[in-house]
Amino acid sequence: MNGTIVQAAAWSPARTYALEAKYEFLKVLRMPGYALPSIAFPAMFYLLFGIMFGRGMVGGVSMPIYLIATYGAFGVIGASLFAFGVGVAIERAQGWMMLKRASPMPPMAFFVAKLVTCTIFAAVVVGVLAALGVTLGHVRLPSAAWLHLGTTLVLGAIPFCALGLGLGYLVGPNAAPPIVNLIYLPMSFLSGLWIPFEILPPAVKTIAPFLPAFHLGQLALGAIGAGAGAPVWSHVAALAGFTVIGLGLAFWGYRRDEG
Amino acid sequence: MHKNIYFIIACGLALVGAGVAGTRTGRAAPAAAQPAPREFVIRDVRVFDGERVIPKANVHVRDGAIVSVGGTAPAGIESIAGEGRTLLPGLIDAHTHAFGDALERALVFGVTTELDMFTDHRFAATMRAEQQRADGALRRADLFSAGTLVTSPKGHGTEYGMQIPTLSSAADAPAFVDARIAEGSDYIKIVYDDGAAYGMQIATIDRAVLGAAIDATKKRGKLAVVHIGSRQGADEAIAAGASGLVHIFADAPANEGFAKGVAAARAFVTPTLSVTESTTGVASGATLLKDSRLAPFITAAERTSLEGRFPSRAGSKQNLAIALAATKLLYDAGVPILAGTDAPNPGTSHGSSLHRELELLVQAGLSPEAALAAATSVPARTYSLRDRGRIAPGLRADLVLVGGDPSRDITATRDIVTVWKRGVRLERAKAPAATAAAPAPTTTGLVSDFDSQALKRESQPLKGESSDVRAEFGSGWQISTDSMIGGKSTATMAIVAGGANGTRGALEVSGTLAAGAAYPWAGAMFFPAATPMAPVDLSKFKTIVFWARGDGGAHQVMVFAARLGNIPATQPFTPGPEWREFVLPLASFSGIDGSDLRGVLFSAGSKPGPFRFTIDDVRFR
Repeated sequence: MNGTIVQAAAWSPARTYALEAKYEFLKVLRMPGYALPSIAFPAMFYLLFGIMFGRGMVGGVSMPIYLIATYGAFGVIGASLFAFGVGVAIERAQGWMMLKRASPMPPMAFFVAKLVTCTIFAAVVVGVLAALGVTLGHVRLPSAAWLHLGTTLVLGAIPFCALGLGLGYLVGPNAAPPIVNLIYLPMSFLSGLWIPFEILPPAVKTIAPFLPAFHLGQLALGAIGAGAGAPVWSHVAALAGFTVIGLGLAFWGYRRDEG
Repeated sequence: MHKNIYFIIACGLALVGAGVAGTRTGRAAPAAAQPAPREFVIRDVRVFDGERVIPKANVHVRDGAIVSVGGTAPAGIESIAGEGRTLLPGLIDAHTHAFGDALERALVFGVTTELDMFTDHRFAATMRAEQQRADGALRRADLFSAGTLVTSPKGHGTEYGMQIPTLSSAADAPAFVDARIAEGSDYIKIVYDDGAAYGMQIATIDRAVLGAAIDATKKRGKLAVVHIGSRQGADEAIAAGASGLVHIFADAPANEGFAKGVAAARAFVTPTLSVTESTTGVASGATLLKDSRLAPFITAAERTSLEGRFPSRAGSKQNLAIALAATKLLYDAGVPILAGTDAPNPGTSHGSSLHRELELLVQAGLSPEAALAAATSVPARTYSLRDRGRIAPGLRADLVLVGGDPSRDITATRDIVTVWKRGVRLERAKAPAATAAAPAPTTTGLVSDFDSQALKRESQPLKGESSDVRAEFGSGWQISTDSMIGGKSTATMAIVAGGANGTRGALEVSGTLAAGAAYPWAGAMFFPAATPMAPVDLSKFKTIVFWARGDGGAHQVMVFAARLGNIPATQPFTPGPEWREFVLPLASFSGIDGSDLRGVLFSAGSKPGPFRFTIDDVRFR
C-alpha cells in the first residue's frame, strides 16, 4: 500500500528560537517558585511603601511616582537574576546544558529564550506596579514618561541577565538561590531601590555608584524626572561594563564546564 | 582563551569605572565653546532643598544652574561663606496680580517666581518672552500667568477698569478657554463668587458654566484653578473638578469631611491668608513695616499698600481664625498647600508679603519646613515648573541665602543676605528715601487760564510733546495717552478762542480713545513741580476747580500722588454743551491728602471712540 510521505517540516532557526522561547516561558510560568515572587514581591513592597505609607515627596515627585521607578527596577533585576542566575545553575546541574548542546538547537536560542522570558516578566512587573500606582496611588504621568520608563526598565534587564548568567555558571544549584538573594537584596537596598537614594545616609551614597542596581534605578528615575542629576552616559557606561563582566564570567564558566 | 576572558573582564571593569566616575562628578558632557561660566560655591551652608533640611553642604553653581549639593567644593572658584546661614530655593508666590514693577520688587525680597492670577495678557506675554531668553529677567521674578480670568459679565474682575471678555454661557466655555490659551495663559483661573459671604452682591457664573469651563480647561491639559469666596462655593468648585482653589473661605468653618473631600479630589489650595487677615480690620503688612530686616527695602508706595485694609464688616474679625483652622485641616488631610499672597491687594505688596504669608502658615499649624515647602517645591510641582522650586543638581540657580535657620524660626526668611536669579547675584538696593514733596509754589492756586498764550490756528494743532502749553506754576501741560502701556489711543491739545465766562482762551483736548489697552486713557496733564512727576505739597488746597464744556461724554480727572505709586485716583466729570464749573474736593480722590501730588490728568472716559472737551480756568482752591 502506498504510504503517504509525510513532508517533514523544514528545519529553520527562527522556528527553533520561537519554540525554545515558548517552552521556556511556559516552563517558568508553571514554576510558582519563580513566577510568583518575581511579580508579587515588588508589588507587595510598592503597596506597602508606595501607597499605604508613601507620603511626601522625593526628588521633586510624589512617593508613589518615585517608587514605581525604583520598585520597577527592583522587580526587573530580580526577574533577571533569578531566571539566569538560579535557572542556569539548576539546569547545568540537571544536565540540560549537555542535552541541549547535543541537540540541533543553536546555543544562542537557549539564551535568547531566557532573555525573552525574562523580558516578558519584567514587562509584567512594570505593568502591575503601574496599575497599582494609577489606581491606588493616583499616579499621573505623561504617556511619553510611561514609554520612557517602560523601555528603560525592559532594556535594563539585559545587564542583569548577563550578571545572572555569570553567576549561574559560577555557582552550584544548591548555592545559587541563597547566593543570588544575598547579592540581590542588599544591593537593591544600598542602591536606593527601597529607601530613596536621596534619603540614604551619606556613607551609603558613596558605595552606590559601584552597584549596577543603582545605575538602573537612576535611569528609571530619570525617565520620570526624578533622577539625582548625574549624566545618563555614566549610568549606561556602568551598566555596559557590568554586562561585559557578566558575559565574560559566563564565558569562562562555560569553558570550565566543557573541559 | 583565558587571556581573552581576562581582557573581556578588564574591559568590563574599565567601563564600570568610567560610569562610577561619571556619576560621582556629575559633570555633563562638555558642550561647544561657551563664554566664561559664572561659577561659585556656597560653602558649609544649611540647605533647605525644597523638601527637607540638609544640615551642612556645599552648593556648587555654574552657568545659572545648580551643579551639585553636598560633596567637596571644587577649588579655585568664587566661594561664599554659608556657615550659620541657610540656603533656600528662590521663593514662589502662588497667587499675585503682577503689573508695573511688581516683578522687580518681588525679587528684592527673594521671590524669584510669581504665579499671577489675573493681569493684562499682553504684559504677561512680554514678560514671558523676556524670561525665555538665556540671560533674560535677571533683575526681576519670573512670571507665569492666568492672563485674563474667566468671569461672568459684571462679575468679579470686571470692576478694575480693564476691558476684558466675559463668559455668559456653558456652550461658549470651550471657545473662551481656547482664546485664553491662545493669548498665552499658562493655566486658567475661574471666578465663582457671588459676594454673599462678605455682604456683597456680585454677578457670577453659575454651576453649569463653572463645570463647562473646568472641563474645557482640563481637556486642553491645563490646570483649572478657582477663586471662591464661601464654603459653599468651595464645595461646588471641588465637586465640579477644580484642580485647585486659590483662596480659602472664611464665612464658615471647615470640617474634616470637607478636607477629606478636597484630598480625595486631588485638588490643592492656596489659602492667601494675608488678604484674609486684611479683611479683619488689621493691615496684614503692618508687622512687616516694623521689621528692621525688611523695612529699609520697602518703598513709599509699598508702605501705602501694606498699610491698607479692606473695610471691615460685622463678624469679619473671625475670618482669619476660620481660615487658619481650615488651612490646618486641609494640610492634615494631605491636601497640597501653596503659599500665595494675592498681592497687591490692601495689606499686601509684592515680595515682602510672602514672608508674612509664611508666618501665617506656621501660625495655622504647619511646621516651618512645611511652610517653606509651600513656597518652593509644592507650587513648582503643582504647576509643573520642573526646573525650579528645589535645590538639586540640574535645576535653576534661583536661590536665597538667609541668616539664621528658618526651619526653626520662620521669620528668619526676612534676613536676606543674598538673592540669586539664574546664578546672578541681585544688587538689593535699599528703597530711596521718599523725595520730600516740594512746598507749594503757588499762593493763588491758579494753574492755567489759557488767556496769555497765543491761540493756535485750527490747522496747526499742537502735538503736546513739549511744554507748549504753559501754566502759572510747575512744568506745564503735556499730552498723555495709553500708548505708554502699548495702547493705541491718541490725543492733541490746542489753545482755542472762546474761554469760559467770556475770557480769551481755553484748552481744547481731543482725540480718539482706542479699545485694547488694559487701562485706556488719553488726555492732557499738568505737573505742579519744576520737573514732571516730582511731588508737591498742595495740601493747603481743598479742591480742584475748573470750567469745562464738551461732547457730553463721561470723562475723568486723574490725580497722581507719590503714595499711590503709578496708579492715579480718579473722579468723573461730564462736560455738556454749555460752560459749567466743576468743583472736585481733593478728599473725593481716594487715598490722597494733597501733600504729595505729582500730576493731574484730564482724560477721556472709558468709552472707546472720538472725544473732545474744552477746559478753562483750572485752579486749586
